[in-house]
Amino acid sequence: MSDQRGRIRFIDAGVTYPGGTVGMKDMNLEIEPGEFVVIVGSSGAGKSTLLRAVNGLNRLTSGSVEVDGETVSQREGRELRALRKRVGMIFQDFRLVKRLSVINNVLIGRLAHVPGWRTMFNLWPQHDRDIAIRALERVGIPEKAWVRASTLSGGQQQRVGIARALAQEPAIILADEPVASLDPVTTHQIMRDLVRINRELGITTLVNLHFLDLAREYGKRIIGLKHGELVYDGSAKTVTDEDFRDIYGREFTEDDLLEEQQE
Amino acid sequence: MIPQRPSRNWPLIIVTASFLLAMTWWSGNGIGFSVVEFLCNISGGGRLLAESWPPDFSYLPRLADPFMETLNIAIIGTVIGGILSVPVAVLAARNLTLGRVIWFTDRNFMNVLRTLPDLFWAMLFATAVGFGPVAGALALSVFTIAVISKLWSESLESIDMGLPEAVRAVGGTWLEMLKFGAIPQAMQHYVSYALYAFELNVRASMVLGLVGAGGIGMILETQRANFEYERVAMIVLVVLVAVLIIEEISEAIRKQLA
Amino acid sequence: MSGSAIQNQNRIGGATWATFIIAALFLWSMWAIGFSPERLGKLPAQMAEVLGFFYPADMAYGWDKVLPSIAESIQIAWIGTIIGAVFSLPLALLGARSLFPKFARVVKLISATTRAFPEILLAIYFVPIVGLGAFAGALAIGISSIGMLTKLGSEVVDSIDFGPVEAVEAAGGSRVMALRFAVLPQVLPEIIAHWLFRFELNIRASAVLGVVGAGGVGGVLLNTLRYRHFDKAAAVLVLTIGIVLVIDMVSGEIRRRIIRG
Repeated sequence: MSDQRGRIRFIDAGVTYPGGTVGMKDMNLEIEPGEFVVIVGSSGAGKSTLLRAVNGLNRLTSGSVEVDGETVSQREGRELRALRKRVGMIFQDFRLVKRLSVINNVLIGRLAHVPGWRTMFNLWPQHDRDIAIRALERVGIPEKAWVRASTLSGGQQQRVGIARALAQEPAIILADEPVASLDPVTTHQIMRDLVRINRELGITTLVNLHFLDLAREYGKRIIGLKHGELVYDGSAKTVTDEDFRDIYGREFTEDDLLEEQQE
Repeated sequence: MIPQRPSRNWPLIIVTASFLLAMTWWSGNGIGFSVVEFLCNISGGGRLLAESWPPDFSYLPRLADPFMETLNIAIIGTVIGGILSVPVAVLAARNLTLGRVIWFTDRNFMNVLRTLPDLFWAMLFATAVGFGPVAGALALSVFTIAVISKLWSESLESIDMGLPEAVRAVGGTWLEMLKFGAIPQAMQHYVSYALYAFELNVRASMVLGLVGAGGIGMILETQRANFEYERVAMIVLVVLVAVLIIEEISEAIRKQLA
Repeated sequence: MSGSAIQNQNRIGGATWATFIIAALFLWSMWAIGFSPERLGKLPAQMAEVLGFFYPADMAYGWDKVLPSIAESIQIAWIGTIIGAVFSLPLALLGARSLFPKFARVVKLISATTRAFPEILLAIYFVPIVGLGAFAGALAIGISSIGMLTKLGSEVVDSIDFGPVEAVEAAGGSRVMALRFAVLPQVLPEIIAHWLFRFELNIRASAVLGVVGAGGVGGVLLNTLRYRHFDKAAAVLVLTIGIVLVIDMVSGEIRRRIIRG
């Protein structure tokens, strides 16, 4: 069990959306516990589909996904929630409840750990409050705990999003374009946070990125997707411009590089 | 360093909570609210419903005339009220009015009109001009002014003043400014509020007869007094269907306009 | 340029037609109920005559008899609003198309039907069930409030940001928890403002219920007018207008603060 925690396996996995669009095809992929993986590909290549298949937000139409050695695909209701409890997710648009305080947003990450009648009346055990505060400390904004989420800047809101995922004490974190709505400076801060958390806590981390230079700078392993298929899988150190051209199916331009956006 | 949880505004919370509780206790007592009584009497309610069933469909033809009268009342009320609400709304809009005194007077006039419910107007007009549909039509005219002018004056206040000011700048009069600059911008709102007022008026006109102001409500009152519940049920059914149909129609028109 | 001019002309054409139809309906209605020009001409004199009787108002009667019945109207409106609020909140959540597409249709049907009933017809049914008086009125007001508040509430729910709902579910929370933590905090201020607004409307609605014996100030007004005690009727009007104005002002101010807060 312990060597399975944080492991993800796709076995012949496929997703076909109603209407016939293929989101994922014949995916065979194994991710080891504690890995930091960056997924690249042009928009519509199936990056989100891949991430969302891990916690069952998107259902497979063929094959299977295993998380911690257990199959995701067949799970429903309570069983699915038990699995999602171990998988944190970070979104491009943060998905915070803007009218709630920061701490209450982070506590949403503890929902699956606390009995429903307590959460209903906001009676969180001290233990869980401590975990939420520690998560905020880890992303460097504990002083914002009682502030309304709507008053924070974009970068701070994404940190709350990360803290919410951390509060789950997850084995895996899925980050779906976590920096796409942020400015370049904040982008680097958030990426560094993600790398640091992966190193310090050993949480398996999957990050979808659009910018190639970011992928190269922060990824350890890079996975390239095209039309829902795996077209590249290798180390970030050895990935070449040639490889990126293959993934994108075209010459890449300034739009694909964050540095160029800064000019 | 984690800041202390900011303390809540306890005085405000306590005052609000005790006000809500006191109000509820006072009201519950005052009206004799009792779940027990309600449950005990529910069998009586069942009997009443049984008596109302089936509705007396043979009564339907005799409802035709009063029903038309009801619609007539609603139409007259909406048209007269709709026309009169234009000046009331314009003068109550801060950006279009003719001076502070007029604005203040008109605004208060509008607010006072709004305080009285439709049936109060019906009672007053029934006293003034005698029982019958004319009283109902007048009552709904006043009620319509109250509904449209309040909503529409708010729309008028939020229009873009560029065009109206331009009309004034090239020497247009106040009326020309309204006609060419201001009102066209808020016309769509006006139509939508007028439709809403018509819906309310159809609903209101069904019950005006209870105080002698004409329409189908007058028969409702007689049948109720005679405990003819199958006929009451028939009338209620007609009212229900009419209200739902009018709502659908005005919803469709509003969609067309949008 | 010429294209837009043609379009403009078409629209004017539509408006002219609409005006014509409305005018025709109006004239037909005037004729049908016997609202003749002579009648209209006599109106100002009639109104002036009756209004003359109203002055001065019998305020002694006002303080003794009218004030308690206005208080009863407020009580009816309050209990009716609470009934409406308590039952409409879960229904509004179930009625949100974006959350529960299966239930939304049923809930919409229920709320449309209850809204279609004028309160006073509901009261006509409740009076024989629970007896003459304010309790019947409160139930009638309550039921029609449920319909309206459910409709408005569902619209508020459908307009929110659903991102947080998915965030709660991705963290392993259930649908109910998503409602509690992602939906409720977003919608509650607007929904409470709707409750207050409904309370304002309910005071007016409860004021007329006295006409069918369901308590409140409406019965008093009907009786004073029927027995031509115009000075007493004037007291009813003065007090009703004054008290409703004050409640409107206070409630409107609270609503504005809740929405801003």
